[in-house]
Amino acid sequence: METIGFLLDGIFTSLQWFNLALLIFGCLIGLFVGAMPGLGSVNGVAILIPITFIIPPTAAIIFLAAVYYGAMYGGAISSVMLGIPGASTAVATVFDGRPLAVKGEAMTALTAAAVGSFVGGTVSVILFTLFAPPLAEVALRFNAPETFALMVMAFATFVGLGGDDVPKTIFSILIGLALSTIGLDLITGKPRLIFFNIPGFLHGINFLVLAIGIYGIGEMLWTLEETKGKVQMSKLSVNMKEVGRAFGALKKTIMAMNIGSFLGFFVGILPAAGATPASLMSYGITKQLSKNSKEFGSGVPAGVVAPECANNSASTGSMLPMLTLGIPGSPTTAILLGGMILWGLTPGPLLFTQEPEFVWGLIGSLYIANFFTLVLNIALIPAFLMVLRIPFAILAPVIFVLCVTGGYAPTQSLHDVWLMLLFGFAGYILRKLDYPVAPAVLSIVLGPLAEKALRQSLILSDGSMAIFFDMSEKPIAAVIMYIAIVLLIMPAFGPLYRRLFKKKQPA
Amino acid sequence: MSITNKITVKRAEIAVAVILALCSIALMIKSAENRITWNAEENMGAGFLPFYLSLGMLICTILTIIKFVLKRSPQSKDDTPFIDAVAFKFIAVTIISLVVLVLAIGYLGIYFSLIFFLAFYLRYFSEKSVAFITIFAITTPILTFLFFEWMLKIPLPQGISEPLFYPVYDFMYGGFSFAVKMIFIILTVVLPTALVFLTTRFIK
Repeated sequence: METIGFLLDGIFTSLQWFNLALLIFGCLIGLFVGAMPGLGSVNGVAILIPITFIIPPTAAIIFLAAVYYGAMYGGAISSVMLGIPGASTAVATVFDGRPLAVKGEAMTALTAAAVGSFVGGTVSVILFTLFAPPLAEVALRFNAPETFALMVMAFATFVGLGGDDVPKTIFSILIGLALSTIGLDLITGKPRLIFFNIPGFLHGINFLVLAIGIYGIGEMLWTLEETKGKVQMSKLSVNMKEVGRAFGALKKTIMAMNIGSFLGFFVGILPAAGATPASLMSYGITKQLSKNSKEFGSGVPAGVVAPECANNSASTGSMLPMLTLGIPGSPTTAILLGGMILWGLTPGPLLFTQEPEFVWGLIGSLYIANFFTLVLNIALIPAFLMVLRIPFAILAPVIFVLCVTGGYAPTQSLHDVWLMLLFGFAGYILRKLDYPVAPAVLSIVLGPLAEKALRQSLILSDGSMAIFFDMSEKPIAAVIMYIAIVLLIMPAFGPLYRRLFKKKQPA
Repeated sequence: MSITNKITVKRAEIAVAVILALCSIALMIKSAENRITWNAEENMGAGFLPFYLSLGMLICTILTIIKFVLKRSPQSKDDTPFIDAVAFKFIAVTIISLVVLVLAIGYLGIYFSLIFFLAFYLRYFSEKSVAFITIFAITTPILTFLFFEWMLKIPLPQGISEPLFYPVYDFMYGGFSFAVKMIFIILTVVLPTALVFLTTRFIK
């Protein structure tokens, strides 16, 4: 019952006029960002975070969560209309969304996507409300060793479940961590890695510099290369009859909605996963379990609903570990987590007792944002189609202006802008060679927290690493550590397993 | 054979891996400026973590190079160009113009640099009219100014153009009423737009 009280408080918090205005504004920006090819929630949040420093943390998180949310809805618009995913989270939406649009049923696809997103969002936020308080209570008992073990597990999930080249993934994690050690050592106070004695390095590298570099500059370069500024749009007729028919088609997609909502939520919780793999997995499983799986890919509404449901559900799911454990569940929540530190909050379970307005304001806002985004999404489809016609050559410089000003504003030094450009170019090249970039962003955010937890643990144990593996002293930390080790060595057994498995198959 | 065809994915992969390995070694040397040891008597030296993290980076890049030599990674067998010629032009011009933009910000200040950057970028990549580009290149910095300096109270770098902004600041923080300030804001956006519009009409 206590939870319901908190939740109602949260909903009222998010309905205060200032918060509500930011929420609606955030949804609109999110829809816009999601709809633009090449820009997704993570880009929107990374580019917009510097402008949230002047508003209170609760309003800031409501705004950014709305952007995150809106982008999940918006991604479907360009997937359907242009056949280009508006964001990586909407890749699976193209599979059936685009064929529907080609058949002239674009409105059905867009409505299915919007309703799917709404269902996924609502189911996941209810799951979130149920799971978050007990998990936070458990996490309150965590000390430095458990926190450090959790962070190691977060990094290990990238290696074990990320599915990318293993040495490149580990490289990405390590470079993020190494960059986070630049600046003053937190125990001895000695300056570390001050390249060429440039004083700008003394205050360390702000995670935003890397995030805006990679997800702002790098992503724009990537999109410029992919699209070369040209896109082809499908025709769309918007009338109430079409919308009605679209809703009729949704009756057959209940199974897809169930799979998408629940699978998405739990995949979203995993640190390495986030909304992109959740939507792809949801599409794949729905297709396999469906009676008419052969029709998937030729334009069935269930094929649009499954991934759209899952990506919204996963985006909510990824906020669960962010709020309760202080471990982000996706690249976007990694940036939100960094934002929380900049706003002066300590991410983790203490938020629930120390900053209830912040936590429940965010949860409450998710319920409200879901509703507003659904309405705005369907009502503004014609407007978004106009937005999609903006040539990329005009959009790109505007994004660059936002990146440069956003990179400068937090610390007000050009040094950071140069670093941001450098990371942007480097991130673009590395991404082209299949180095995953998300782990680097996650680890530059978690780096200082992980180092603090590690060194506190080692002071506790008089310098012995055994503190992380002792089942009798610290059972939770030990179990998490062993899971992390299993995740780390899993890719090594993958090829072995496949070889054994292949031998059993008849040639 | 153009340059872009010569830079294949294969060559880019090995070149990047070698560069990253060298960077990792440089990081290790830099970390060793602090104590990198750690034992039971002494606490962890300030260089310990960066040193072993960069050692890990070096090992990863060496593994990437080994995979390349053994032809175990997809990139090691890929002879397609790393980037095609058309995209290369887009990327190269964008990168150079961004570098020039940031260089100019340090000297000219952000607002004037943005005017030149936007004008150049739109002229080069889009097929918009001169009038549109001029309006766009002038209004964007004005909106940036209003947003950052007026709303957020965050000063952006102004370089040698700083004295030009003194009267604006006097006005912003002077005792004018809200309505007067709003009219001013609207005029700062509308006037240049109208001016450009009329000039281009007149020239035609």
